This record gives sequence, structure tokens and C-alpha cells, in this order.
Amino acid sequence: MSEYSLKNTLSYRFLRQSAKDWKDFLVTFGNIGKDFNRVIKYILRLEIDANKLIEQSSRFAFDSLPITLTIVSMTAIIISMQISPELVKQGGGNFIGMMSAIVMTRELSAIMSGFAIISMIGSSFASELASMSVTDQISAMKVLRVDPVKYLIVPRVTAGFIMMPFVVILSSFVGLFFAGLVANITAGVSALNFTTSMWQGLFIKDIMVMLLKSAFFGGAIALISCSCGYSTRGGAKDVGISTTKAVVWSFLAIAFLDWIFAILFYM
Amino acid sequence: MSIIVQNLVKEFEGKKVLDDISFTVNSGETLGVVGFSGSGKSTILKLICGLLYADSGKIQTTKGDIAMTFQYSALFDFLNVFENISFPLVERPEFKGKYSKKDLERIVAENLKILGLKDIEDKYPSELSGGMQKRVSFARAIVTKPSIILYDEPTAGLDPVSSTIIEDYIVSLKNELNATCMVVTHQLSTIKRATDKIIMLYKGKIVFKGTTEEFLKAENPYAKQFIDAAIEGPMDILQED
Ligand SMILES: Nc1ncnc2c1ncn2[C@@H]1O[C@H](COP(=O)(O)OP(=O)(O)OP(=O)(O)O)[C@@H](O)[C@H]1O
Ligand SMILES: [Mg+2]
Repeated sequence: MSEYSLKNTLSYRFLRQSAKDWKDFLVTFGNIGKDFNRVIKYILRLEIDANKLIEQSSRFAFDSLPITLTIVSMTAIIISMQISPELVKQGGGNFIGMMSAIVMTRELSAIMSGFAIISMIGSSFASELASMSVTDQISAMKVLRVDPVKYLIVPRVTAGFIMMPFVVILSSFVGLFFAGLVANITAGVSALNFTTSMWQGLFIKDIMVMLLKSAFFGGAIALISCSCGYSTRGGAKDVGISTTKAVVWSFLAIAFLDWIFAILFYM
Repeated sequence: MSIIVQNLVKEFEGKKVLDDISFTVNSGETLGVVGFSGSGKSTILKLICGLLYADSGKIQTTKGDIAMTFQYSALFDFLNVFENISFPLVERPEFKGKYSKKDLERIVAENLKILGLKDIEDKYPSELSGGMQKRVSFARAIVTKPSIILYDEPTAGLDPVSSTIIEDYIVSLKNELNATCMVVTHQLSTIKRATDKIIMLYKGKIVFKGTTEEFLKAENPYAKQFIDAAIEGPMDILQED
């Protein structure tokens, strides 16, 4: 009787749930680490199927492009809309291009593209692999002695690593274009003024770091999404849970990576 | 070419699904595995083909490929029938580049023909009926000419004629490859036509082991309950554990 009532207390249930969450966390972390290990071995040996890499690359970059460009452009438009009139009022109209360039290259275009890619590509990687797993397609592949990590995950992660910098550089350009356009419309900043100032804000270092960072973002999103999908067991409900998990973990991972890059290169 | 299983134990989350299971299957023989849902039949097959690891006990299989067909076909839904069946020949490292497109087309067509199918190479799994998916998945499993073939409920949910086609196929394929086979099934017709010996599982243990003839004589009370589809008997259907 006493045991029964103990198990019903709020603190017991809270501790129990926390323990379970911790275990889930560690298991997911372990799975991602294990899959990373296997993927990196294939990549270092350059055992990457060219056809599958091309297929996944085009999916990663082109399928997501409309959404990525929209999100990054909207962010650029809104920021420019808010600060351009203010800066012009304070006599800082000549800095709008520079500020936009710094903000875009150092932070916004990579992270915003990352968010867009997670929602478009990460979630589809995760749900795709999860549904393959719960319908025994992954088991079937193993029995046929084809390594699903090599066949499914390696091309996706490589594609993410390679294509993400292209996505980000493109979205930076488009974002800056819209920032300039909006600065012109809302604050009368001329195109020449904006571009001259913008060039002063584009540093080689920032661009290099942005490209490197986005490669890691792309690789991490693909790896985490694939890993969460791949380790799914159960049924349709578990496919949903894994997809959510992939999205959440990818968000956290790029936020964390962003912070690491900021420390490494800007402190 | 045989399977020897000794004292196999497998637990899931502390629950013993298989408890001290031993049996052997020789080459050219088909062992039927019967038992209620959840009695661990699929688990045995997954242990033998290496998809799961045993907690204790020993599984010995002689050299050669092990093929397994799954309860729900498990065809790759992003590949068409041709790509599914030729998948191991195209993707397995040791076969890479060994077969020309022509070879593959011939092999796929031959395999489909034996199973009573043709001209579906360009279709995707979702465009096929359940029975057709099953047959395509058999073609994919045996395209590498395995020496051990494991079938998980090959005839479940099929009409009687499709079942017969598959049962005959299991027998003729076994003879052709002199393979060692195991068939998990709930269907008496499959037991009768396609198996030589039977083991029956209940609560993780083997409760019947013998030839198919002995099984069908129903002298064993467990076998009798299964064959008669009786609610009364040594096995409690509403297993509570
Ligand atoms: N990966 C797993 N994790 C946890 N439990 C599992 C796992 N696989 C199987 N089980 C449990 O093991 C038991 C046996 O499962 P198995 O799939 O082998 O049964 P079965 O005899 O094939 O049943 P059916 O006739 O329904 O296919 C079930 O109780 C199932 O819940
Ligand atoms: Mg089963």
C-alpha cells in the first residue's frame, strides 16, 4: 500500500519522467554518434555512390530553394524595413549596406537557410528513413547484404555538406538584393550608395566562415535527420515521433554549432 | 547447408520471448514454425539471418547466402519492380558491375515468370496488389541463389490460388537450390504442402517438434488445438503475462 502511494506522488512521477527523458536523450545522442562514425568512415574512403550523391544533392539544394530564398529574403526585407528609415534619420544612411552585409554573412543567411532546410529536407529525410525502417525495408536491405548506412545515409550527408554552402551563398545574395531594394523604397537609399557601403561590409573572412559553417550545418542536419529516422522502431506513430525529434535536434544542433563557430572565429 | 540452433534465448525488455529453443534443419528440408501471434516466430528468423542478436545460445549456419522474406513484403517503395529484384545484384559490393543491363533484364523476367508474373517491371510496389508484392519480394530475396531461405508468413492474407502458387514455389525452389528453408505460417495448407517438419512455439518454448505428418495426426494436444482451431486446450489464447 505504501509503495503504491509513493509511486503516485508527483515528485516520484516527475523523477521517473526525467530519468526517462534523460535516457531518451542519451540514446538519441549515442545513435547519432554511432551513425556519424559509420558515415565518416565511408566518406573518408571516398566510398560514395556518384549517382546517388547527385540525386540527393539536387534534392537538397533545389527542392528547398524556393522556401529558403523566401525565408531569408523576408528576414532581410523586414530588418531593412525596420532599420533603414531609423539610420537615415540619424544620418547613418551610408552604413545600411554595410550593416546588412555583416548581419547577413555573419549570422542570418546561414541560420535562416538552416531552419528552412530543416523543415523542408531534414523532416523528409527523417520520415522517409523512419517509414522504411518500420516497414522492414531497412532490415530487408541488411539481409540482402547492402549496408543501408552506405546506401541511404552517406549520399544524403555528403549532399548536405556540399550543397548547403551554395544554398547559403545564393540566399545571401538574394537577401542583400532585397535589403537594398527595401532600403531604397522605405528610406530613399540609392542603389549605388547601398552597394558601395555593402562592399565595405563584405569581408573575405566572414564569407569563408559562413561557407564553412553552412557546410557543417548541412552535414549536421542531414546526419541527425537520417539517424533519427534510421533508428525508428514501431509503427506510424513512431515515424511521427522520430520526425519531430529530427527537427528539434537539428534546430538545437545548428544553434549550438553557430555558437561554436562564433567562439572559434570571432572571440 | 543446414541450420543448427541450440539453447537459444532472446529477451525483449526483460521478457523472455524465446526460452531455450533448439532445433536443426538439414539442407533440402523445410521446417515450418507455427504458434500464436507474439510467440516469437519472426524473432527466430531475425536471429538466424543476423538482424537480431541472441542473449544466449548458439546458431550455426553453413556458408552461403541467407535470404529472408518479410511478413509485409518490405519492397523498397522508391524503386520499381525491376530495380527491386535486381537490387542485390546491382548494389552488393561483390556484384558491382558484374551484370550487364541485359543480364539483369533476363534474370528479373525469369524470376517473375516462375512466380506467375510478367510485364510489371516498370510498376512501383504501391501499384501492385498485396499478393503480387509478396511474390516480387520472393523474387528479390532469391535472386542471389541463397542456400538458406527464411519465409515469414509467405501466404498470409492471400487467396487460396495465390497461396498454392507460392507453396509450390517454395517446394520447387528448395529442390532446385537444395536449400535449407524455414517457413513461418498460420495456414494449414502451407504446412501441408510446403513443410517437412514442424516446430510449434508457445510462451517462448517449443511445445511440439516432429514431422509434418506427425503434426497433422494431432496426437500432440498443442498440435490438436492448433489444427482444430479450438479455444479449449493446453494453450490459453488470452495470454496474460
Ligand atoms: N524489437 C523489439 N522490441 C521489443 N519487443 C519486441 C521486438 N520484436 C518483437 N518483440 C516482442 O516479441 C514478441 C514476439 O514477436 P514476434 O514478432 O517474433 O512474434 P510472431 O510470433 O512473429 O507474431 P506474429 O504471428 O504476430 O507475426 C512480441 O511480444 C513482440 O512484442
Ligand atoms: Mg511475425
